[in-house]
Amino acid sequence: MSDKGKRKLRGNIEGNARALATGFKYLVEPNRMTLDYPVESMKLAPNYRGFFTVDDKKCIGCSMCEMVCPPEAITMIPRVISTTGYTLPVQQGATQEAGAKPAKKTKRPVVNWGRCIYCYFCFDICPVDAFVSSNIHDLAFYNDADYRPSYEEYLKLPEDPVKKSKKVIPKPDIKRGIKYEPAP
Amino acid sequence: MGILLLIIWLIQDLLYLIVFPGLIVAMVLVILLIYLERKIAAKVQMRFGPLYVSRKVGGALQSISDLLRFSFQEFILPVGSDSIAFLMAPGFMFAFAMMPLIFIPVGPYYSYLFPSTLTILFSVALITITPIYAIIVGWASDNKFSFIGSLREALLVISYEIPLLLSVIAMVIVYKTLNYIPAVAFQETHLPGIILNPIAALVFIIVAIRSTGRFPFDITEADSELVMGLYTEYSALFFGIGMATPYIELYALSLIFSLLFLGGWWPASGHATGLLAGLFMPGVMVIIKAFIVMIVLVFLRAVYPRYRVDQAIRSGWERIIYLGIIAVIISILEAIII
Repeated sequence: MSDKGKRKLRGNIEGNARALATGFKYLVEPNRMTLDYPVESMKLAPNYRGFFTVDDKKCIGCSMCEMVCPPEAITMIPRVISTTGYTLPVQQGATQEAGAKPAKKTKRPVVNWGRCIYCYFCFDICPVDAFVSSNIHDLAFYNDADYRPSYEEYLKLPEDPVKKSKKVIPKPDIKRGIKYEPAP
Repeated sequence: MGILLLIIWLIQDLLYLIVFPGLIVAMVLVILLIYLERKIAAKVQMRFGPLYVSRKVGGALQSISDLLRFSFQEFILPVGSDSIAFLMAPGFMFAFAMMPLIFIPVGPYYSYLFPSTLTILFSVALITITPIYAIIVGWASDNKFSFIGSLREALLVISYEIPLLLSVIAMVIVYKTLNYIPAVAFQETHLPGIILNPIAALVFIIVAIRSTGRFPFDITEADSELVMGLYTEYSALFFGIGMATPYIELYALSLIFSLLFLGGWWPASGHATGLLAGLFMPGVMVIIKAFIVMIVLVFLRAVYPRYRVDQAIRSGWERIIYLGIIAVIISILEAIII
């Protein structure tokens, strides 16, 4: 066998042995990078853009959010203001306050979650800061209709699916690449 | 009296084929092995692997749930397929993958269907039948991916069957017998085959990886190129059978490896009479050894990338076959010395 052939053979054997040894090392002491998701979940920043709702009392129905919404996810629906300060559907408001002075007509935004891109432009443009943010983001709907909530459904935030999970924060690590530490 | 003996013989053979080293034990081992394969690959690749089915035991029931899913899926027969061959071939493949077990003894006193003095020859010969049905599957599916997969299988089989036979012949020359039981007896009195002829063991391992389509020779089922290779058109239980076949082959080859190279039932030699010590302890020993071999072979999935077809064929014709010839020469020298 030539000198070059010998070197190549030794390289082959060495390379295979090293590959197997590395694999075995990781098998014995696993170095997992995956987040064990529903059990652990990442602690999100306070200004994280998740699902949001609107403060019914603060909103003035100016339709600026509908105008600015890039994917046209926000629709303004007609409402009437009741005596408590909260809005009511147009029909209900009309019957309830039939004898009294005419109810004041207004509009309120409703978001189509299938369209929303969570850009929060509506938050920026709102003149009275009526939108309420949350960092709930990991939620899917079972039905197509659930993506388009009614105004009453839209007013309450969806429940956080990972509320009970252990919160962790990712840390870069030289040896492992990424490491999850329990959040303070 | 003769009839009674015949009935006992039949019951023993049915037990042998269906229960102990045969179908049921093989299926349990395969289910366990598929789970371990996925888990080992996940651990090495920094993942979790199967976890959400039966979380408390680390997802151990995942394979069983997969099996149930395959059982209740709808079976679809492709329009252009050769339906008889399409339906029959997986069953034949599975049957021929199981068939070497007839000739592989798992204990010195645990008899098998055809007592013969040529068991090594028969079992190795039966292993080489399965690829024919793989080619039929590819032809019958009427699918380009299946067809390419079967062509690759055909090319590779030709380049790897000769080294398989050479490595087995090398051990046969050392043991001077074509029967497993004297071969194991030889290893008990002398040394295990893997020390007597390590090159033959290496060749056998490489060929076992190749013929069962484990990595790095996962060429016929290369998912990134050929969707699912031979089984692209299959669904439901037929797909499950097709997927289990290489593992059954792996089981048979690992049994042969543990008998030829690892001393068979060596520490539990079964000299004692009685059901447990005489019949089952040697068998359990052989199966434990075979299972360790299987785990080592599926561990390779996590380490190696896939060879190209031409690389695999070249390594078969240019390297492995020479290693096989070297193994035979070593064996001849040893046979002269011993």
